[in-house]
Amino acid sequence: MASSQHEQVLVEEKSFARILTFNRTKQLNALSFQMISRLLELFLAYEDDPNVKLIILKGKGRSFCAGGDVAAVVHDIRAGGWRAGANFFMKEFTLNYLMATFSKPQVSILNGIVMGGGNGASMHGRFRVATENSLFAMPETALGLFPDVGASYFLSRLPGFFGEYLGLTGARLDGAEMFACGLATHFVPSAKLPMLEAALCAVDSSDPAIISSIIGQYSERPPLKEQSVYNRLDVIDRCFSQKTVEEILSALEREAVDRREGWISTTIQTLKKASPTSLKISLRSIRVGRLQGVGPCLVREYRMVCHVMRGEFSKDFFEGCRAILLDKDKNPKWEPSKLELVADSTVDSYFSKVKNEDWEDLKLPARPKFNLPPYVIAKL
Amino acid sequence: MDRAFQRTQILNNHLLQSSPSSPVQSPPLSSNACLSYSPPELSEFFAFDVKEMRRLIDWHHIELRDHLFAMISQSKLFNPRVRGGKVFVSPDYNQPMEQQREITSKRIDYLFERGVFEGWLTEKGEEIDLRRFASFEALAIFDHSLGIMLAVHFFLWGGAVQVFGTKHHHDKWLKDTETNVVKGCFAMTELGHGSNVRGVETVSTYDSNTGEFVINTPCESAQKFWIGGATNHATHAIVFSQLNINGANQGVHAFIAQIRDANGKVCPNIRTADNGRKIGLNGVDNGRIWFDNVRVPRENLLNSVADVSPDGKYLSSIKDPDQRFAAFLAPLTIGRVSIATSAVYLSKVGLTIAIRYALTRRAFSLKPHEPEVLLLDYPSHQRRLLPLLAKTYAMSFASKYLKMLYVKRTPQSYKTIHVFSSSFKATFTWNNLHILQECREACGGQGLSSENHVGQMKAEYDVQSTFEGDNNILMQQVSKALLAEYVAAKKRKKAFKGLGLEHMNKPSPAIPSQLTSSTLHSSQFQMDALCLRERDLLNRLAVEVSHYQAKGLSKEHAFNMSYQLAEDLSRAFTDRAIFQTFAEAEATLAAGSLKDVLGTLRSLYGLICLEDAAFLRYGYLSVDDGALVRREITKTCGEIRPHALALVSSFGIPDAFLSPIAFNWIDANAWASVQH
Repeated sequence: MASSQHEQVLVEEKSFARILTFNRTKQLNALSFQMISRLLELFLAYEDDPNVKLIILKGKGRSFCAGGDVAAVVHDIRAGGWRAGANFFMKEFTLNYLMATFSKPQVSILNGIVMGGGNGASMHGRFRVATENSLFAMPETALGLFPDVGASYFLSRLPGFFGEYLGLTGARLDGAEMFACGLATHFVPSAKLPMLEAALCAVDSSDPAIISSIIGQYSERPPLKEQSVYNRLDVIDRCFSQKTVEEILSALEREAVDRREGWISTTIQTLKKASPTSLKISLRSIRVGRLQGVGPCLVREYRMVCHVMRGEFSKDFFEGCRAILLDKDKNPKWEPSKLELVADSTVDSYFSKVKNEDWEDLKLPARPKFNLPPYVIAKL
Repeated sequence: MDRAFQRTQILNNHLLQSSPSSPVQSPPLSSNACLSYSPPELSEFFAFDVKEMRRLIDWHHIELRDHLFAMISQSKLFNPRVRGGKVFVSPDYNQPMEQQREITSKRIDYLFERGVFEGWLTEKGEEIDLRRFASFEALAIFDHSLGIMLAVHFFLWGGAVQVFGTKHHHDKWLKDTETNVVKGCFAMTELGHGSNVRGVETVSTYDSNTGEFVINTPCESAQKFWIGGATNHATHAIVFSQLNINGANQGVHAFIAQIRDANGKVCPNIRTADNGRKIGLNGVDNGRIWFDNVRVPRENLLNSVADVSPDGKYLSSIKDPDQRFAAFLAPLTIGRVSIATSAVYLSKVGLTIAIRYALTRRAFSLKPHEPEVLLLDYPSHQRRLLPLLAKTYAMSFASKYLKMLYVKRTPQSYKTIHVFSSSFKATFTWNNLHILQECREACGGQGLSSENHVGQMKAEYDVQSTFEGDNNILMQQVSKALLAEYVAAKKRKKAFKGLGLEHMNKPSPAIPSQLTSSTLHSSQFQMDALCLRERDLLNRLAVEVSHYQAKGLSKEHAFNMSYQLAEDLSRAFTDRAIFQTFAEAEATLAAGSLKDVLGTLRSLYGLICLEDAAFLRYGYLSVDDGALVRREITKTCGEIRPHALALVSSFGIPDAFLSPIAFNWIDANAWASVQH
């Protein structure tokens, strides 16, 4: 048996609490297939275990979790075809769904980087604790992917059209901003984390009200930085409520003329650098996600991610990984290269079933009918 | 004394029954488990693809609708509230009238700012026509006041400028209307005249010395009444008035008059007053207008049908004043079409709420200690709601037919559009009120709560049966038009053509003497039965009217005397027309689960049409047939029951536009949700 040094997920049992720690610091705790499988196994076991009432998730080092291990996925696809990639995401999305519909509260301590798949492993849980070290992003469009792991569910529930902004631009948020927009349920200064953890380990209840009040005892209301984009929600709403990516861009350009604020031109630059196909499917996905429960969101995202892995309509994902993760030249050559070259019919295709023998839609695990807490039922 | 004894007996029985007769039979002692909410999605299954079904019934601009829904649910202006962990948006109808009006204006500004109405008046063609319908239908499920403020501005004011006006009116007004610089209202109805527009008493007299029209309200009954936007909002009005030139009355014409300046100050010689609180629609500032010799330039006459030369000559391409008037009002059908099609969406909201509730709320056990029975598992509850579901699907297909008629309109098709839009507007809005009432009752006490929407919607949409043509009068117009077709066909010995009356040219369908269950469900039989009723009633009406005429009554008087047959006939026409669209939609589907479920729904709709009293009253069906129809309805409701959730989910109404009882109503009402 591997020693705990090499375990990618460390497990501690503290009376009714279970502390799961991501332990892959060199990769900033990026989720490997092995970690996902392990988490699934643990969550399934905890669901039926009356001695478990609370799950705490955290990361070792300066990162909570920097995302799915995309480099490994690309490697697997090169070796074994797109199915290998699809398998990874099937497992990951199943875990996201399980977390979203879990009957016991999950507290994620986001004391560091939380990006992509890291958000999938935390945002669906009941409590998300941000700190002054938190750094949030959903940077998929820069990689030729789209905000997955159920992001079309949790981003689309943010105030106004902030979710579209985060999902399309990959903009980064600090802990105070995460708390302000609702991505984090609490903000606790990192110095108080050991005390918080100890207090949580003493709880013998799954009642979210009790747990919330315990975290509340260590929480603060952090001030937003004056130049925080969250203070510009009116502009974001005006621009990111537009129907198409092209219209969003031109709305931003109009605003840029009127108000010469740095973040607007940064936003325009970022959008122009991102994969046009990614931008279009991401916008559609978040828009559709607004009106869907978390399950259907994940089923749809699984369809989309399978299309991305197959590379039938665009190979941007592989190009993005090459430019950002492998060659690191940061100069991806997207194809199609411009927004107007991405046809609506191509965007539609990403949402259709994959035409491949024995391919199946994501099968969500059955959930217990009568003992789901109300906050879970509301997500279905 | 007897009563007291009886009561003690009853109480005694209760007590005896609840005390265990033997210890073995008594249930083990345990705390009574609380009711818990289980989302219907976890127990009901979808036998068909609900997205495909939605594509079939919504059929156009689905993405746009969803975009508007998102735009609404994402803004604080639309009064979002969290209940049971979910966000719901709907106006606060318990606010004072003034606040409701103010927030309605703000919501409209928000939508303008986001470009929702771009091209509504300046673009032409099928695409924009359909886009307008889709937007109007989507906004209607949020709030009627919002929809009506827009309908007045775009369809009535904007539409009138478009159709009654000519190029210089278009150039001057349409762009400013589309960008909300000009806020229009439509001053047609007066205190003394509503449906009878030709009787309005407002007078516009031409003054050839100054080249102006002088608009005047000569008496109190001539004050403009119920004018949406008149109290605080509108800057300009379309004024319907008699046109007086050199003492000669040329009939009703439409003029543009400014009633407020850009700062909202009422113009000189104009008086306005509020219509006050209404039973619903309080977000619309309906008001009254008096004109005290208001002068408007000659160009403000909307002159597409008739014009006045600078020297005061009346010029019209249409000589017959009756025809001139008809040409005038024909374009107003867009209002009627949009009322009809939007009404269907309110039924969708009501049914989605009531059926979702009926799939989660239980009442009474069949045996002691058994779980209580789900409301929708009671055959009686199915009988209350599921035929209405079939009716709503039927209306969806008929809506599509009506919208296509409108979109493909030509000057020759105005009569057809007039008949269908009158018939469908009246029938859909009546159906909607009936459906909402049944849904309200099916939700029990929960239906009374404002937050649960259904009851409130009844009040908000009640007016649909009156404005843009009183429903009863519209239905009379349908019968009148059918009678005119009949008389014309007989006189010229020509075949029937149009309005779906072609079946009159064929031999009369026969009802089999021995009806079987499978015959009753067949599309062909149902269609035959509906045609038979329509044909016979049309014959009867023609006979009765000519009978009265033979006695010396005028045509109009004779028709008024035959109102009962006229009512039955217009319903027969409408049922047949709606059914036809449903049967055609079913026929075009490829075999599969979607077609199967839709076929069952069509069959249920056909059967409830056959329950109309006319079938027994005039003897198209026997009393035994009537009993068989009734049995088959119950059976078919049972067949629809497993698909109930999938069928309401296919309506595509977002969760946020439903209400707390459609979801976790236990949590929504928990102590923790009480503000303390």
